[in-house]
Amino acid sequence: MNRKEIQIPNFLKKAFSGRNAVISIPYIWLLVLFLLPFIFVLKISLAEPILAIPPYTSFFKWGESWLPTIQASLDSYLFLFSDSLYINAYLSSLKIAIISTILTLIIGYAIAYSVAKAPTRWRGVLLMLVILPFWTSFLIRVYAWIGILKTEGLLNLALISIGIIDKPLTIMNTDLAVYIGIVYSYLPFMILPLYANLEKMDMSLLEAAADLGCRPLKTFWTVTIPLSLPGILAGCFLVFIPVMGEFVIPDLLGGTNTLMIGKVLWTEFFYNRDWPVASAVAIILLALLVVPIMFYQKSQEKASHEKVWQLQYLCLSRRIFISVYSYYSTDIV
Amino acid sequence: MSENTPVSPWLDSTQKPYIQIENVTKKFGDFTAIDNLTLDIYKNEFFSLLGPSGCGKTTLLRMLAGFEKITNGKILLDGEDISEIPPHLRPINMMFQSYALFPHMTVEKNIAFGLKQDKMPENLINQRVEEMLELVELTDFAKRKPNQLSGGQSQRVALARSLAKRPKLLLLDEPLGALDKRLREQTQFELMDIQEKLKVTFVIVTHDQEEAMTVSSRIGVMDSGNLIQVATPAEIYEAPINKDVADFIGDVNLFKGIYKGQNEIGTQLLSDDSNSIVYATQKVDAAIGNQLWFALRPEKLEISKRLPKNEHNILKGTIEDIAYGGSFSTYHVKLQNGTILKAIRANRERTKEHHLTWGDEVFLQWAPHSAVVLLS
Repeated sequence: MNRKEIQIPNFLKKAFSGRNAVISIPYIWLLVLFLLPFIFVLKISLAEPILAIPPYTSFFKWGESWLPTIQASLDSYLFLFSDSLYINAYLSSLKIAIISTILTLIIGYAIAYSVAKAPTRWRGVLLMLVILPFWTSFLIRVYAWIGILKTEGLLNLALISIGIIDKPLTIMNTDLAVYIGIVYSYLPFMILPLYANLEKMDMSLLEAAADLGCRPLKTFWTVTIPLSLPGILAGCFLVFIPVMGEFVIPDLLGGTNTLMIGKVLWTEFFYNRDWPVASAVAIILLALLVVPIMFYQKSQEKASHEKVWQLQYLCLSRRIFISVYSYYSTDIV
Repeated sequence: MSENTPVSPWLDSTQKPYIQIENVTKKFGDFTAIDNLTLDIYKNEFFSLLGPSGCGKTTLLRMLAGFEKITNGKILLDGEDISEIPPHLRPINMMFQSYALFPHMTVEKNIAFGLKQDKMPENLINQRVEEMLELVELTDFAKRKPNQLSGGQSQRVALARSLAKRPKLLLLDEPLGALDKRLREQTQFELMDIQEKLKVTFVIVTHDQEEAMTVSSRIGVMDSGNLIQVATPAEIYEAPINKDVADFIGDVNLFKGIYKGQNEIGTQLLSDDSNSIVYATQKVDAAIGNQLWFALRPEKLEISKRLPKNEHNILKGTIEDIAYGGSFSTYHVKLQNGTILKAIRANRERTKEHHLTWGDEVFLQWAPHSAVVLLS
């Protein structure tokens, strides 16, 4: 009698290869920790608020038949568009994110450039100084700014004692304080990718530009800036994306009229206990952020034949993850 | 070369040097990279700075370009002191060892870059770029980015870019270092053609002595910040100034020995290595009993199995090694006292009849005028 061997189909063999198992770990991670929570939020955004625990209607309703009926409504979304508060909050967040990204870029570029051009033995120390604030909790650092910026704070005391001003400046609880807080907090995210890019830049390119008759300042605009574009893009996205949804900084440093979508979301969730609207706010914010991320990805694909750019992209996705993670972990506080 | 420029301007005292490097010293901290160096280079020359790595040749080139400040001394170009002029204002262009092509610009934009800095009108820029692309035969590659080019193509773009502004002086830093041997040889001739066509003065830095010999009008051999010898390739090869130069340029057999005076044949040297008297036609200014060296190029040694007819400069040995090089073979001949001499013989015949092989007893012989006497 012929003994038939059990044949494992080829596609199954392939699916369970060690290589695939290793690759699947990050995918499972993303699935469990990002996709599933996203689906929950999406589900809540389609529900209606009720006075209950949890405070929203369930997605499936079990009735007479053996199949549940689905109850979903777009009321929360329609509500967002009916009240100008939300649109204004999105626009205001956008404005604050754009302005602070530009400010961070200007300051961050100057710092990254000088670190990259510093003597090799100094670079490690300087870079360390950039990263050093991370050793303290983000929240504590923002609180520290209150101590500096408030009416009888360090800054005002110092300025008055030098004699530059007579009356204390009102910085605390204004948009200016929010910008200071954001630029300060997100500066390392701008500096690190820029530094990684500028440090690799071939000095002979700058010499070649000078050799061909280009003035130093013009060389900066025609050679240095275009070549550091991947770093600029990476840094800007790393700042822009989390700042869009920033909550802690406007809440602690901003005034009552500092409108940001992160604050609105908080209010909906904790004061109004309107989870569906809060979820809808979050979903729309995500949808808005997907657009710039996709633009970025597209710009990377165009240049993907360049190994350096690919690397940059890998670094970027890792850093986005880190920043998103740290952002959420501090938000929970 | 043009008619009004003599073939050897450096021999003509009425000719004015184009580049005058006068007592130039360059120090990096305590380290002296260039030590009180003086050198004249003439118009339309193809001048090579040759030397081992770390000899200061690249530093000298970078000082000509303006990337390194001169610690002491001055550099004149066409009579004008350029020592203090920043690189972007010098009428000098450089071709970088790494080519330094702008990766974000196409080939034509790279070539046009220097012209744009001069505010040249658009149509003239386009015309010049076209011309340069034709010169380096890259017209079809105008729209490519540097990362889409091969090594040889990148090299030609770099050359076109550095020549586009019609510089008074072109500096080339190891221009062919990254190319493979065949391409390098071919490009050497292209470089010479281009130099003659555009009548630009070239100063090239290289560590490759064959390259220097092929392309140069004159070679400056450098070592530890000093110029050891400045001469035409043939002079450097046939009449090296000391044994370091002889050793650095090409292969050489060096005999160390004691000066025994002159006779009707020439200088007599009691060779340590062969333990016999050897002769050279060249006269030297030395006292009897001084230590001297004889330099003898391998191709000037005749190797044969039969005893040669003449009476002097004959050494006996056995063939230790043969390096077959196709057109010629290099024989390593071991003398009785153990010294190994190199001899080169052209492989003129295809048959095996006259072949020398391992272990053969052979005679080495040379004409007295083939040897060079060196004092140091």
